[in-house]
Amino acid sequence: MINFGQLSLWLGIITLCLSSLGYWVAFAKGDGTGTESYGRTGFISFTIFVSAAAILLMVAFLGHHFEYSYVTRYSSRDLPLLYLVSAFWAGQEGSFLLWVFLSAWLGIILMVKSGRHESRVMLIYTLNNLFLMILLIKQSPFRTLALTPADGYGMNQLLQDPWMAVHPPIVFLGYAAYAIPFAYAVSALWRRDLDEWIGPALPWAIFAFVMLGAGIIIGGFWSYKVLGWGGYWGWDPVENASLLPWLAGTALVHGMILQKTKKRFRKTNFLLVSFSFLLVIYCTFLTRSGILADFSVHSFTDLGITGWLVLFMGVFAAISVWLLVTRAKNIPVEHEDDLSFFSREFGFIAAMMLLLLSCLVTGLGTSAPLITRIMEKPASVSTAFYVKTNLPLAVLVLLLLSFVPQMPFGNNKPGRLLKKLPWAAGGAIIALAVALWHGSPNIGVLLLVVFAGAATAMNLELAIRLMKKRFSLSSSALVHLGVGLMFIGIVASSVYDHSEKERFIQGATVPVMGYDMSLSAPRFLETGKGEKVEIPLRVSKGGNSFLAQLDIIQEKSSSGQAQQFVHPFIKRGLLSDLYLAPVDFETRDTSELSKRISVKKGESVQLGPYTLTFVAYHLPQGMGSGTMQGMQLGAQISVSYKDGTPETISPVLDMSHPDNPGTRVRLPGPETASVTLAGVNASEKTITLVYEGPESASNKNDAASSPKTWAIIDISVKPGMTILWIGTFLMLFGGIVGIVRRRQKHNSGGGIR
Amino acid sequence: MKIKKMHIIGGIVIIAAMGLAMNAFRSSLTPYVTVSDAKAYGHSVQVAGITEKESIRYALDTQKLVFTLREDGGAEMAIEYDGAKPANFEDADKVVAIGRWDKNKGIFEAKQLLIKCPTKYEGRVKGV
Repeated sequence: MINFGQLSLWLGIITLCLSSLGYWVAFAKGDGTGTESYGRTGFISFTIFVSAAAILLMVAFLGHHFEYSYVTRYSSRDLPLLYLVSAFWAGQEGSFLLWVFLSAWLGIILMVKSGRHESRVMLIYTLNNLFLMILLIKQSPFRTLALTPADGYGMNQLLQDPWMAVHPPIVFLGYAAYAIPFAYAVSALWRRDLDEWIGPALPWAIFAFVMLGAGIIIGGFWSYKVLGWGGYWGWDPVENASLLPWLAGTALVHGMILQKTKKRFRKTNFLLVSFSFLLVIYCTFLTRSGILADFSVHSFTDLGITGWLVLFMGVFAAISVWLLVTRAKNIPVEHEDDLSFFSREFGFIAAMMLLLLSCLVTGLGTSAPLITRIMEKPASVSTAFYVKTNLPLAVLVLLLLSFVPQMPFGNNKPGRLLKKLPWAAGGAIIALAVALWHGSPNIGVLLLVVFAGAATAMNLELAIRLMKKRFSLSSSALVHLGVGLMFIGIVASSVYDHSEKERFIQGATVPVMGYDMSLSAPRFLETGKGEKVEIPLRVSKGGNSFLAQLDIIQEKSSSGQAQQFVHPFIKRGLLSDLYLAPVDFETRDTSELSKRISVKKGESVQLGPYTLTFVAYHLPQGMGSGTMQGMQLGAQISVSYKDGTPETISPVLDMSHPDNPGTRVRLPGPETASVTLAGVNASEKTITLVYEGPESASNKNDAASSPKTWAIIDISVKPGMTILWIGTFLMLFGGIVGIVRRRQKHNSGGGIR
Repeated sequence: MKIKKMHIIGGIVIIAAMGLAMNAFRSSLTPYVTVSDAKAYGHSVQVAGITEKESIRYALDTQKLVFTLREDGGAEMAIEYDGAKPANFEDADKVVAIGRWDKNKGIFEAKQLLIKCPTKYEGRVKGV
């Protein structure tokens, strides 16, 4: 049978080549010869074929076409619709297709909007897409299996979250968008048109900033909500891979605004635009080539695209360097002789330098396994490195944010700033007072707090003032206000958090950090592939109380690997979050005489003096009814006491009430011991038994009560998380306002303020 | 301030910052070492190996995860980790422990555990 997906990809790459060719000829012969139409037709066809491939893959997921290896590896029949859709980009191959798909559609918008720059801009843009297509064809999601399995492996539990479903499309939209300012810049330098590209390219640069920023923040939000370690950023190479282009891109946005206003920084901006674009490829190389496989918690495997990625990077780096070298003497350096300390220009330059330094040190740390590989044994840096190096840079960035946004371009008198000083001082003093009230951190953190407070207050004043004039003018003030709040949140949650691990025994109330907490009886729910333990924890403080539900999920994936996941519970508050994460859980007494075990059909287990053999399942009643309602399931178990004559017992589990523990059956023999059927997994042919040995049973007053449970729970109070999320939201919102503002300016023709 | 002066000051700041960064970089490198090297080293290292399944437990007094790591050569080392048991821990193909050896306690204090699980994120079924 024809593999239509693979066919679409091949047709896509062919039409894309034709598109490049068409634009090349149009460019070489000069504009207006009409050959662009070939380029245009080619690109539209490419977009159609790539979209067809994406639709085919989506259909394959929705229709459970497990003949595709990719569909088998990332989905299964029991997956809900949302995650069937997001399984599309759960793995490397599909996420490349997503990237190309988004890049193609952005290209259509670019084609329409680029006007008379079209042939050159699109030529560069199609070349970039060509490399993406080669990577995609090298690791196609349409590889088929010789034998079609009945079901897929399913999706990793951790990825089954709405935030993780939307994270990749947003990140890849950002990644794809970084190629657009690059395409504009290269085409501009090519024809020595040095300033005009800034106008149309600036909204794209801000768009890339917003999208990649949103992707990073959603990733952090997911990590905090799902992973249970209580953090949102771990300086993992995969996280850094999206941070690096974003930092360079943020410097770029500043440089472009400066060039637009003051006609300077032409060379710097060209360097920045190339740098941020090349970083996207470099970070793709770092995370996808398998080179960091031993250093990242995200285990990426090499799919044989390393060489292509290096070539991809090399070609575009060569184009950038060659253009810059050949055009350098044509770029006029127009700058004033004097640059006042008290000017926005100075602040912009300093901010760009700091953002780039942060990008360089973070890049250095992330590349450590690569750098050290050349010299000696590969080594990575500890996360302390990133904190140590970025802390002083963050302090300086916040210092700039406290004053620069209030200063106009050109030379200023310090007096102007003095009028606003009460705001900065007020913000700084409040922040400092709150920080010192809660403890005395080191000087670096204190400086960060002081300037974060000052930056927040100053930009709040500015945002309110500008909003009164025209809302869109407040875009950058909103972004900077968001940055200030974000840093307040970061310091509060990472320096002032309290964490304790506490061991709870069912029924007993434990006072922890001002709360009274008590563990109730857990519920055991059979999931498709394993068991979910719901651990209810009653939390009360003063008169208020609520029930927190923590989950531990133990699953066997189809490839037979046992996996354990936890779901933390977060009680969000304006000032601080209460974060509860289960660490470990056991249904047994401290005497370890009560045990929870799983037995396979036909197998025997030794429990104290007893040998138990799971003989068969049996259905005591309702056998023919076929409904789950009121259905009881039992197991036939042969028991022998101290190798004596075996006797058969039949514990029963009521399937209609999963929270209702099964009946306890006393084991034959002189001692008081019992088993309870706690779970049945028919597909694995196993049952779960809770065994209570002689001593533990005799300790109990009520023989019918369920076995004692203990759980270790990590309890943290994390202040400032809500402020952090509000800050990130404002940062992105301000960015979106900025896109609208810059687009209006560009369209109205005037361009420069 | 004159532009030239700006360039000089900017250059000095960048060089100083990169110098400090390189210094921090060198001091925070955690190389991959063997179990015997890890015991000899003073500073932070990473050690890879497989976990002894039977040894995994929570120390009830300290409430830390304790387990034994065995590397390819067969050398073993006790590891203590203060944190939640990572997903897939029991059935990981390989565990990387990042931390340092505590001579007095005779235990490797892990700050971070990396779990290499074949089913996580990327299938091992590359060739199916």
